[in-house]
Amino acid sequence: MTPGALVIGYGNVLRSDDGVGWHVAERLDNDPRFDGVTVLQRHQLTPELSLDVSRADLVVLVDASQGHPAGTFTIERVSAVEHSTTTWSHRMEPATLVGLAQELYGHSPEVHLVSVGVASLDVGDRLSPALEAAVPRVVDAMAELLAARIGQHLVADGSRA
Amino acid sequence: MSSQIVIDPITRIEGHSKITIHLDDAGEVVDAQFHVTQFRGFERIVQGRPIHEMPSIMARICGICPVSHLIASSKACDAILAVEPPPTGADLRRVMNLAQIVQSNALSFFHLSSPDLLFGFDADPAKRNILGVAQANPQLARDGVGVRRFGQQIIEWLGGKRIHPAWVVPGGVDAPLSAETRDRILSTIPEAMAAIERALAWYKSSLLRWEDEAASFGDFRSAFMGLVDEAGNVDYYDGRLRVMDADGNLLADRTDPRDYQEYLGEAVEPWSYLKSTYWKMLGYPDGVYRVGPLARVIVAAQMGTPRADLELDEFRRRLGRVPASSFHYHYARLIDTLHAAERIDELLRGPDILSPRVRSFADVNANEGIGVSEAPRGTLIHHYRVDDDGIVEWANLVIATGHNNLAMNRSVRQVAKRYVKSAQLSEPMLNRVEAVIRCYDPCLSCSTHALGEMALHLQLIGPDGAVLDEIRR
Repeated sequence: MTPGALVIGYGNVLRSDDGVGWHVAERLDNDPRFDGVTVLQRHQLTPELSLDVSRADLVVLVDASQGHPAGTFTIERVSAVEHSTTTWSHRMEPATLVGLAQELYGHSPEVHLVSVGVASLDVGDRLSPALEAAVPRVVDAMAELLAARIGQHLVADGSRA
Repeated sequence: MSSQIVIDPITRIEGHSKITIHLDDAGEVVDAQFHVTQFRGFERIVQGRPIHEMPSIMARICGICPVSHLIASSKACDAILAVEPPPTGADLRRVMNLAQIVQSNALSFFHLSSPDLLFGFDADPAKRNILGVAQANPQLARDGVGVRRFGQQIIEWLGGKRIHPAWVVPGGVDAPLSAETRDRILSTIPEAMAAIERALAWYKSSLLRWEDEAASFGDFRSAFMGLVDEAGNVDYYDGRLRVMDADGNLLADRTDPRDYQEYLGEAVEPWSYLKSTYWKMLGYPDGVYRVGPLARVIVAAQMGTPRADLELDEFRRRLGRVPASSFHYHYARLIDTLHAAERIDELLRGPDILSPRVRSFADVNANEGIGVSEAPRGTLIHHYRVDDDGIVEWANLVIATGHNNLAMNRSVRQVAKRYVKSAQLSEPMLNRVEAVIRCYDPCLSCSTHALGEMALHLQLIGPDGAVLDEIRR
């Protein structure tokens, strides 16, 4: 049971591995390790998500990455930025989203970004074999992260510690 | 010898485009063009597909306004099935279409344009973004988040998901509305309306600040076009076409939009994938007209809801019956949004809104169908021809951004001539050239039937091809 936790898997499910965030999010539905976790699937991070982020105690973002070898992944802590460098206002970087949650709602929770290396960004609605194999490992790592971190943020009834 | 300036790509719009600014020997702006440089080809892609697939395929044209394409496509399919959706099915489609208007208008005003309107066009680009707005005016930013969520949530609650819902189908909608969902939506309306009205009050308080920009941001005489109901008020889902000229005279009224080919021509220029639609009576390229929020509030007698009508009265007192400047799209967009929220409330309080009769079933009964509705950016037309088995043989899509293409090009020329000085390029002057395009909130993904993150790139190229000046951001 991990109340107060939010997972956002995002990407384009019609561009093969770019949709890995969605695929990971789907796996969480029937996994008891994620009971009580709010799971969202989105095409991209948008300003509207700042409200969801501000209401959570722990947030895990899952995205595809071209900067990692296919099937490998990293989990990095995301810090809020004070100044956005983007002029694009309806697709946001994780740090900008966290900054927006802080500015608008006065709370930026602990946020982690799971970046999964892609093999293919071709048109298609299925993951490559390398990513299919990686998804269970990503889910296990997220479960470990939630189990390790949630106790530091929450008491048993879900209120903030 | 001449030179040209290229702004490529343009930021804070939907899709990929660039602007070229042409200079004469003296370095003065002589022309400017808005180029849409992406091509998607949905009219060709759908050939050979069965008619029942059309709404879902067409919704993929755009991630911002999939509902608009669902609505127009389903209406075209209704015509091919030769059915009318049950009244409740039509009303539920209206609710979703209005929610689409709200969320897309909110994106345009709050997320894309409010940074310019809050900080000014000369401000540091590093703070002209949503985070900068959040720091300088958190209430405005929170209202933007709230209003867009309001529209998105309605789409998600009705259709099961906020992007590409498959709930709108040929013949009506796929499932009736539950009392729980109705009440849930109704409970969110007061807060959304309060946020829209706060934004209106803020915008009106700064209207005088923009007199200079309003005088050159697409300030020219043209016609305006939109759908109106039997009373002559705004109608986003059905209605007849009304076209009004710059003096308020009606060029067309109560015109069946399915006869669009009699009135509208589509021209193609070699420098853009975006077709230029024009009013045939006035010819090409003189037949320029505008669609979208500004056109809707101009052509309509009234909005048809109490609070939006009060705002429309004030709009007309301030700006006149047919304001010529495209800068006023921003103001009109907020009135449009307020009306949409009011109409959602009205429709959901209708006595039959929970009726289980929401869909008419039929097979192919006609070989041609045309569906017309108002999308956030203006009048949207889907036109299909099918064989006797319902396989699509031909499709034509007339998209709001295409209606506005001639006006956008004229606007870019006007702003470039007013603000661009070739001797000393600056970011604020280029931002104004982009900002006039944002007034129209063009959706290039829709209009070319891409996506991607754009940084602004402008080059001043001399007659020998050398780059004389360059700005990136």
